[in-house]
Amino acid sequence: MSQNINHSPVEKIKKGSNGLRGTIVESLRDEITGAIAEDDQAVIKFHGMYQQDDRDSREERAAKKLERLYSFMIRLRLPGGFLTADQWIATHEIAGENSTGIIKITTRQTLQLHGLIKSKIKPTIQAFNETKLDSIATCGDINRNVVCSSHPKQSSIHEKVFSYSDKISEMLMPKTKAYYEIWLDEEKVLDKKEEEDPLYEDRYLPRKFKIAIAIPPNNDVDVFANDIGLIAIIENDTLLGFNIAVGGGLSATHGNTETYPRLGTIIGFCAGEEQTLKAIYETLTIQRDFGNRSDRKLARLKYTLDKFGVAWFRDELEKRVGFKFSIARPYQFIDRKDYFGWHRNHQGLWYYTVFVENGRVLDTEGLKLKSALLAIAQAHTANFRFTCNQNVILADIQEKDKVLIEKILQDYGVTHHTDTTSAIRKNSMACVALNTCPLALAEGQRYLPSLISSIEPLLQKYQLDKEDIIIRMTGCPNGCARPYVAEIGLVGTAYGKYNLHIGGDHQGERLNKLYKENLDESAILLELENLFREYKARRKQVESFGDFTLRCCLPNQ
Amino acid sequence: MLEEPKLKTLNHLVEGLSREELVWLNGYVSGLVKGAPAKEDKKTLGKITIAFGTETGNSKKLATEFASKARKRGLSVKLSALDQYRLTDLLKEENFLTVISTHGEGEPPASAKKFFDHIHEHELSLDKLQYSVLALGDTAYPLFCKAGEDVDVKLHSFGAKRISPIQKCDTNYEEEANEWFDRVMEAISIGHVSKVEKQVVSKTTHKRNFTGTILSTVNLNGKGSSKETFHLEIAAEDVVYEPGDSIGIVPENPSAMVQALINLTGIEGARKISFRDEEWIVSDLLTKRLNIFYLPERVVSKYASIVQQQIPVTRMDLINLIKIYPPRNVEQFEEILQSLETITPRLYSISSSRLAHTDEVHITVVRNCFQLDNELRHGLCSDYLADLPENSTVEFYVHRNLQFRLPAQDKDIIMIGPGTGIAPFRAFIEERANTSVTGKSWLFFGDQHFTTDFLYQTELQDYFSTGVLSKINVAFSRDQKEKVYVQHKMVEHAAELLQWIASGAYLYVCGAKNPMSGDVEKTLLEIIQSTGNKTREQALDFLNQMTEEGKYLKDVY
Repeated sequence: MSQNINHSPVEKIKKGSNGLRGTIVESLRDEITGAIAEDDQAVIKFHGMYQQDDRDSREERAAKKLERLYSFMIRLRLPGGFLTADQWIATHEIAGENSTGIIKITTRQTLQLHGLIKSKIKPTIQAFNETKLDSIATCGDINRNVVCSSHPKQSSIHEKVFSYSDKISEMLMPKTKAYYEIWLDEEKVLDKKEEEDPLYEDRYLPRKFKIAIAIPPNNDVDVFANDIGLIAIIENDTLLGFNIAVGGGLSATHGNTETYPRLGTIIGFCAGEEQTLKAIYETLTIQRDFGNRSDRKLARLKYTLDKFGVAWFRDELEKRVGFKFSIARPYQFIDRKDYFGWHRNHQGLWYYTVFVENGRVLDTEGLKLKSALLAIAQAHTANFRFTCNQNVILADIQEKDKVLIEKILQDYGVTHHTDTTSAIRKNSMACVALNTCPLALAEGQRYLPSLISSIEPLLQKYQLDKEDIIIRMTGCPNGCARPYVAEIGLVGTAYGKYNLHIGGDHQGERLNKLYKENLDESAILLELENLFREYKARRKQVESFGDFTLRCCLPNQ
Repeated sequence: MLEEPKLKTLNHLVEGLSREELVWLNGYVSGLVKGAPAKEDKKTLGKITIAFGTETGNSKKLATEFASKARKRGLSVKLSALDQYRLTDLLKEENFLTVISTHGEGEPPASAKKFFDHIHEHELSLDKLQYSVLALGDTAYPLFCKAGEDVDVKLHSFGAKRISPIQKCDTNYEEEANEWFDRVMEAISIGHVSKVEKQVVSKTTHKRNFTGTILSTVNLNGKGSSKETFHLEIAAEDVVYEPGDSIGIVPENPSAMVQALINLTGIEGARKISFRDEEWIVSDLLTKRLNIFYLPERVVSKYASIVQQQIPVTRMDLINLIKIYPPRNVEQFEEILQSLETITPRLYSISSSRLAHTDEVHITVVRNCFQLDNELRHGLCSDYLADLPENSTVEFYVHRNLQFRLPAQDKDIIMIGPGTGIAPFRAFIEERANTSVTGKSWLFFGDQHFTTDFLYQTELQDYFSTGVLSKINVAFSRDQKEKVYVQHKMVEHAAELLQWIASGAYLYVCGAKNPMSGDVEKTLLEIIQSTGNKTREQALDFLNQMTEEGKYLKDVY
């Protein structure tokens, strides 16, 4: 079993946390700092929060004898990325009251708020609880938010597939009542037996754990970038089951060759709900028992899988679940996109997908997106669904209500914005990075929009502006915006410097490759222009940018 | 006092006497008083009362020294603070010496207020009383020693006789004060009151001035704060002070304003001019010496008489007077200059300890913004200090505050200092950090917002983690819907607070007089009453006793 020697410090913290309580209560009571105790910073992640600080103001505040400007990011648990209108209104109000006001749609289909100071955490969680939302286990070494193909027009049985995300999330929740006790002032659990957790025990997983469900032919969830990826197999409008892919994960560390991004490996097919859930559950127990607990950089399931081998893993899993997997069923992904604008599902309900650059919902000079979404929520005729591309779908709208929604979208400039945004911008994604992410080496969401403004004319120059080219940027190699499965991936190495990756495919089944290192903006633009020129001149009739660059621009390996 | 016929005779007699003759008569009559009546009074010749009105402790210190000197001479001495002095005793006194300081616009110390009001609101007959006044003040203020003068004039008008004329002293008062006391002792022992009604004014009034160099100026408030609180570090060789002391700084007038005055009046800026026996050039005089803002009514009426115009008597800026009621010519303006008062120094609590910063003085200055005649104005001195560049020089003197001193090292202290009230406590804490202290220290601080207004946060955190500070509680009024102030934090910790006090802790309050120190005192009484199970009366007695024992100390403004 796992080595007990040299466990990483976080392992000790988890075990000693008394059911993820740590000393959070004492930390909240400490009036003289906006931070929480160091160990609690690891524990609070399991409650859906990260402690961050404004890196831009560190120096200035030090001179002012002020501590760092600590704040907390809180991430909601929204299996499948679904929110009612009332829940959106509540989130809007909470964001305005307690955080920076910006609502961020994440790359994992949920919402997060930034800039909560310590004293605002409890009121925030309590207000979310009022509207039946929580942030349990959205960060930390545990199963995170479960994502699912978002657009109901994807399939007539979308609803059925979507319901799995909730079932999986429920099944993999931690048993501790710490969240309710600390944040919602519920009574202390006296009998520890109530909290016994056969899945996570007292050690939880060695590292974060991500699960996604995709409905072919759209791989909008980037199913292979997850520890477990479920690919729905549908025949004649019937859900037969899922192909199960394991061991996906994109994070890597610069200069550490033992780390690498990896796409999930399909190990077989699972029929029916019971088998599927069992397979998922036991995959977690294998990772719990065999995952690396000494080196957090090598602790994801992908390393466990590569260490012991896929065959061993399948055997172990079959042993644990008590049945054999059948061979994977055929399926085909052709895209990874959101369906912008108006679309209709099989029941005749309407859906409008709004383009939200980098998932940031706010009002700006030209575009009052936040106000628009509030007005739509207040009309109470639409639900909200979030996509893994950080956009929002105004969902489940009756024919009779469509006009009203359309008018609001027009009035606030949302239609114009969604219609006129370039293809490359719509296919772009960036992580938060500076100024709050402690891992960031370079800018992410604060910079990509302006870089794209410089890329757009280049594409126009070569008449490529209608091409769907997926471009993604992260401020560090940890891969939150999944840059390693983009056609153009920009991975921050230092302030203003990025590694350029190319050659990923369009549907997310192939990793890209490192092409050039440490480029500044002018070098990035120069390299991209060269690639665009080549692409325009030498592409095949139907050939995506990713396929072309792999064929023509990268050395054969 | 006298019957009608006797009074007539007396009036007839004194009518037409010259000043000298009157003085002689005065002495003659008093000789009669001494010689003629009650023989038993012979012994009581050696009986004196010394009453002091003190704000910063100087008067008390002197009075106490005098009392012990007098006792050594074998006299019977009653020493009393003016706020403890039974007012009806005034009618029974023989030799009444009072030491009283002056503050602000010629006001007596708060502790002398009751006495002051008593003699101003009642008609008394004190013709048996012999008295003398030692007045402490600061020549930098226009109404120098006004409170002492008022007492002197009032007692004299009630028929009391001056043992020795009033002695007015500037900030370095020791020598003249002792000379005064010697004169008083001599007069009493000889047995007759002074012959010459000449006011003694201090000869050499130069206080010890230091020229400091600004080492650094930092606005302690973080970005987004509505306040600006500057921490100034000033280097000054050989500067001597104790924690609790203040420094006095005479601000300069803004050069733009001086230039505007010169332009408006046509006076030559470089012209040499004499002002109160000092040689100046006009621009320097206007910059460094003369108060040109918000002139007191008495100066406005002088202005009116110089320009011979009807001017409503209300406070005004010089520039506005000149614009509305322009002087006829430069000569008239020069006359106006002579009628102006000097810029008064502003006092700032020292926020450093010499043990921590040799040859340095630190102060904490909030940029003072206030509404005057519907106009937003800044405080002259806070603006002047905030804008002083590094390495520029600043003149200051040390203003002692003997009333606000740290107790012995084994005593516990409780410091309540919101806003800039933190200043002397930073000095206290630094002092205690550099001495072997066994007493505990507890700080209450408050301001508007935690993230931007926590003055000296990182320093205080360090002192707390190293145990120099045993407890810190902070209140930030505007971080939540309901306002939270230091007094609320006191209530939160009422039991412990009372326990500290019961075990002999000294309680210090520094900061705004209104409403802060009033609210704190009210809360303190409530805590003593409710938590300490006392009646209102007992609580008041308890607090009075603390005050008498010097364990409840305030430095409020």
